[in-house]
Amino acid sequence: MAKTILTVDDSASVRQMVKFTLSDAGYTVIEAVDGNDALSKLTNGVSLVITDLNMPNLDGIQLIRKVRANPSYKGIPIIMLTTESHDSRKQEGKAAGATGWIVKPFATQQLLAVVKRVLG
Amino acid sequence: MMDKYKQAFQEEARELLAELESALLELDQNREDRELVGRAFRALHTIKGSGAMFGFDDIAAFAHNLETAFDRLRDGRLEATPELINLTLAAGDQIKTMLDASAGRGEVDQARSAGILAKLSRLTGASGEGAKTPAAPLAGPMVKQGVEREWRIRFKPGPNILINGLNPLLLLSELRELGELRVRIDTASIPPLRDMDAEHCHVAWDMVLTTASTADAIRDVFIFAEDEAELEIVQSAPEAPVGPGRTRPGAQAAVAGSEIRASAGASAVSSIRVSTERLDQLVNLVGELVTVQARLGEVATRLDDPDILEISESVDRLTAALRDNSMSIRMLPLKTTFERSRRLVHDLGIELHKDVELTIEGAETELDKTVIDQLNDPLVHLIRNSMDHGIETPEVRVAAGKPPTGTIHLSARHSGANVVIKISDDGRGLDVDRVRARGIERGLIDSSARLSESEIFALIFAPGFSTAREVTSVSGRGVGMDVVRRSVEGLRGSIDIGSRPGAGLTVTLRLPLTLAIIDGLLVRVGQAHFVLPLANSLECVELTRQDVLESNGKHLANVRGELVPYIRLSEYFHMEAARPGTEQIMVVETEQGHYGFVVDQVLGDHQTVIKNLGRLYRNVQVVSGATILGDGTVALILDPHRLVQNVVQAAAAKAGRTKSGVRPRTKSQEREHEVVL
Repeated sequence: MAKTILTVDDSASVRQMVKFTLSDAGYTVIEAVDGNDALSKLTNGVSLVITDLNMPNLDGIQLIRKVRANPSYKGIPIIMLTTESHDSRKQEGKAAGATGWIVKPFATQQLLAVVKRVLG
Repeated sequence: MMDKYKQAFQEEARELLAELESALLELDQNREDRELVGRAFRALHTIKGSGAMFGFDDIAAFAHNLETAFDRLRDGRLEATPELINLTLAAGDQIKTMLDASAGRGEVDQARSAGILAKLSRLTGASGEGAKTPAAPLAGPMVKQGVEREWRIRFKPGPNILINGLNPLLLLSELRELGELRVRIDTASIPPLRDMDAEHCHVAWDMVLTTASTADAIRDVFIFAEDEAELEIVQSAPEAPVGPGRTRPGAQAAVAGSEIRASAGASAVSSIRVSTERLDQLVNLVGELVTVQARLGEVATRLDDPDILEISESVDRLTAALRDNSMSIRMLPLKTTFERSRRLVHDLGIELHKDVELTIEGAETELDKTVIDQLNDPLVHLIRNSMDHGIETPEVRVAAGKPPTGTIHLSARHSGANVVIKISDDGRGLDVDRVRARGIERGLIDSSARLSESEIFALIFAPGFSTAREVTSVSGRGVGMDVVRRSVEGLRGSIDIGSRPGAGLTVTLRLPLTLAIIDGLLVRVGQAHFVLPLANSLECVELTRQDVLESNGKHLANVRGELVPYIRLSEYFHMEAARPGTEQIMVVETEQGHYGFVVDQVLGDHQTVIKNLGRLYRNVQVVSGATILGDGTVALILDPHRLVQNVVQAAAAKAGRTKSGVRPRTKSQEREHEVVL
């Protein structure tokens, strides 16, 4: 069974890139445009969440906190996409419970390497 | 592929620019609205981020400066002046030109871009800077950097690693892709079960990686775990390759020591003779130790001191190992005993003018020396019986259509904590009518008694019982089977007879593996404790009042669809005690199938040192011994086979008595109940 990955980003082009890259590698990808959308699309079938941090309505950090607070999704890996190379935002994400991060811009191989690292 | 993304970005960027523009225009009307600033910021942020991803570096760099300004605006460090808004609007237009240019429409006026950035830096007071250069791409996992080197890695993840969704094992397999990896797990910090949070990671790994990759590439694998983890990556000295993991000096010495001992052992003699007395002494001492350990466990549980509990647990483990070890020393294969029978069969064959072949199966089955020693006599008796009464003379055999050579088959196999030994022959078998007639003749049964076949066969174990027409020098004096039964029961074993008239007789002996210490299950009924042998126990289920009500007074429990008859120990032993709301059933495997024993509470497993009951209790069949518990009280060891047998027989007798039958053993059973109480 192909593992399902939820990609959360308000940028359609980033979502598209993530989707194409991961679909090519054999994953099933679900897209969400912001944190609220992600929460409504998150199910137990999702093996990994890749989320942007800056998003309208419910941002990435809040999304991570909400997912971590829900026992149904205990231990689900969450990768955050950060453009901020400065550490504070990354630290905030990690404190919220993010598993790892990818600094934008990134190449497709980097994305795949990180996904493999957390999904095996 | 990338072109497709570029196209998507082009479209998205245009939408974002429109979004930026509308946010800016609204902001011009309402300068204090933070939400509008946020909208503008996000638009710029996405243009920058996505732009950089898809190779629009100029746009990303340009947008970065604007983003910085709006970040300050967001923080309140800068005010939304008309000047800034106008400048940003102009900047938005410039980005649009840049997008057009990248799509091959028109040219970008670089001077205009520079002008906008210059004005912007004047307004914000920040120096214009380009977008941070993207981080260097991760070194590919397989990038070889020349010579292979050995790295010692210690990785102790933070406790939350699993909760945060990172599986440390995946990191290890990623390391494995870098080169040859030897891993040793360090379980030293696993807390006692009671204090353990199962969602936390309590282990560490010591690894040796042989790879051509750099320390950075190795460190990169752990990048997500690094902050909370303890991570050490050290290059081993090339001249001193280390063993797996960080071997501590002490451990190394110990390993070396055991190697020396092993090699010394190989050259020395492989076995030594030890007197049985010493072995018995050893087992007695182990028995005492087990009893003391039970006390220690009791005290440790009461004191609830983690240090003492830990010691108690260690001692428990050691005692169990010591017990198994010393028991195994006393274990001998049945081979010698079985082989001895060959000679017996040979000699008797000549004496009785019978041609008999002895086949042996399972001679490698091991049994406690004490049991084996006492097994010899019954075995000789049984073989003699088969030779004399069972196997016919060659002429009779041929007349009956059997091969002239008779066969006696000896077999042994393990069954739980027991060894089952079977002696079967292909002789004439037992004559039910003759046994019955003989029983009546000897006054063992009433002439009107209706007995089942196995009950009739049980008569041959009565003292002085013999159906042989004449007394031979071999058997027929009627002492044989009586003696066999006594010996087997003395070993806490049981004996069963199966006969196919004309086709042969099978005697089955069921003997305990050992007479000293067994693994038991401690249960409580009222105030009394009992031990059931663990080897026969299958499972433990609950019996609620509701279950009892639903079974209409029948002693049957539904265990996952299987109807299991049960015996309530408190009833069996006539114990007057309030029954708890929920009782527990120990489901035990017996010769009669699965049976349940209802107890008030199952307390847990218990290393049971078997103590013999005094002579007063010699007739008690359902209790095979007693053991001393940690608090000094005595628990009786129950024999589930006997218990079930007795209950089944008692039920049959009850049914039989109403039909005016008399059971030969009913009296002794009733007496037994009284004795137990």
